[in-house]
Amino acid sequence: MRTRGMRLGNFLSLPVRIVVLVVLFAAILFPFYWLISNAFKMEQEYYHSPPIMFPSKLTLQNFQDIVLKYGLPRGLLNSVLIATGTTACTVFFGSLASYSLVNGMLPRRLKKLFAGWFLIQKMYPAIVVAVPVFYIIRTLRLMDNVLALVLMNTSFNLPLVILLMVGFFQEAPYEVEEQSMLDGCNLLQRYVYVTAPMVRAGLIATGMLTFVASWNELLYAVILTIVRAKPLTVTIAGFITDKALVWGPMAAMGCVVILPVLLIMWLMQRDFISGVSAGALKA
Amino acid sequence: MLVTRTPYRSKTDRNLSWLFVLPVILILLVAAFIPLGWGAWLSLFRYKLNLPAARAFIGLKNYLDIFTDELTMLSLRNNVIFASLSVSVELVVGVTVAMMLSDDSKLFRGLISVLMIPMIIAPVVSGTLWRMMADRTYGVVNYLLSFLGIAPVSWIGDPKLALYTVTFVDTWQYIPFVAVLVLSSIKALPTSFLDAARVDGASPWKVFWRIILPIISPVIIIVAMIRFIDAFKVFDTIFVMTQGGPGNATEMLPTYIYRQGIKFLNIGYSSATAIVFVISMSLIAWAFSRLRDRQLRRLG
Repeated sequence: MRTRGMRLGNFLSLPVRIVVLVVLFAAILFPFYWLISNAFKMEQEYYHSPPIMFPSKLTLQNFQDIVLKYGLPRGLLNSVLIATGTTACTVFFGSLASYSLVNGMLPRRLKKLFAGWFLIQKMYPAIVVAVPVFYIIRTLRLMDNVLALVLMNTSFNLPLVILLMVGFFQEAPYEVEEQSMLDGCNLLQRYVYVTAPMVRAGLIATGMLTFVASWNELLYAVILTIVRAKPLTVTIAGFITDKALVWGPMAAMGCVVILPVLLIMWLMQRDFISGVSAGALKA
Repeated sequence: MLVTRTPYRSKTDRNLSWLFVLPVILILLVAAFIPLGWGAWLSLFRYKLNLPAARAFIGLKNYLDIFTDELTMLSLRNNVIFASLSVSVELVVGVTVAMMLSDDSKLFRGLISVLMIPMIIAPVVSGTLWRMMADRTYGVVNYLLSFLGIAPVSWIGDPKLALYTVTFVDTWQYIPFVAVLVLSSIKALPTSFLDAARVDGASPWKVFWRIILPIISPVIIIVAMIRFIDAFKVFDTIFVMTQGGPGNATEMLPTYIYRQGIKFLNIGYSSATAIVFVISMSLIAWAFSRLRDRQLRRLG
């Protein structure tokens, strides 16, 4: 990169930089140490004043509790269904639509509509449509059903996925597309055999962003589920809103909720950064 | 952003084109367009779900009520403090950190991965986690502060402090977001003119203040806009940390709309507040993008 260039970090003196970085990274990492250590603490140690920094004995009791008493299996199943369902729907429908917007024969106005919708959707919080959505879901008889959350999460994530996928499809070499058109492939065949494979990286990146967003979603999960379809985000919120603060199990649950997201990020960090910045800065 | 291509004119392709966008249009119709329009319609009624018989068309009365409702105004005030404070701190720290980590090195790349952790975990988890750490009696924050001789503080129970506590948690979670975005725009800067500046003998601070900051300012403005709007949309953190309390000390507009609509079933009024919210956000976004355009013009 900047082989001969100046080191930009030097804009502050070395001691200042060291202090800032140490404080910042301690502030980032310590809460996670606290989460993980509490997940393995025994009851008399997570309820201790003053708090115990280093547990004297590690236990799996909290994890056993969340499985047996606090509904981890059901919540986990729901979270997985919601997040994978949303990811599959969003990436499939979103990429088809973006492909059609780039290479299909659609009126210009429709393309503008999608671009505009992406902006509008950023402006309003999900809560704004909560009441009408509640009615619609009840009318469709989807209350307390994971399908309702797949539908809602899909609609929230579609605009970003379409925006990003349109970019990927535009970057894909058009000559191949043209050639296969001359060979007599129709739009569907071109999508499946020619262009979709070329933008695989984009499909994976947008899929990840969608998975993380729908895995983390809380508001609609609170409004549209009662018992059967509750995902983990609702379960963990319930530790604070419904039950007394049982910190050990709560911390264990927190670990379960963040683990898949951390794994995804660790596997695909580069795509994640570019996905986030593209989504933010393209608008 | 959309480049039109002129493909072969075949009937199959035309039909397929429409078929491809149809599912998306249907999903958005059911889950976004209809609810939004319906919400606008409901906002014109006096309508409480628990008193369906009393439903009546009242025109813009709900909208007028917003301005005399003390709780809405309080939520607005809290929301403005929350958003401006968290976004300013996020920008200052985020840009500083981005500058410090912008030089290529293995260590920094590792640190950037760590930096990203808070921004991708569920806000509901960071909320519960900090709720646990900020507890007055059992919380580790007070314990650590006791070494500095600071007496136990009631971070969440004290109405004067609770707003700043939730602001801190939001800041903690989203400094990385700002840092990562600013960092990628710094890394995209051409090296040539930075070298030129160095040859001219500019100090690193001057290079930052006079060259880098102005050039990346359009990006900073957009990042600020995104964060500002997202901070106004805050829900999860408040929901798990304070539920708007103590009293109404941390009530924000989204949590208030939730309380009015979902808890009190005061549908007409909550819809009106929601519509005003959308309009205000659009105005803010418009103002920010004007600001960015001006900055872009100034840079040429």
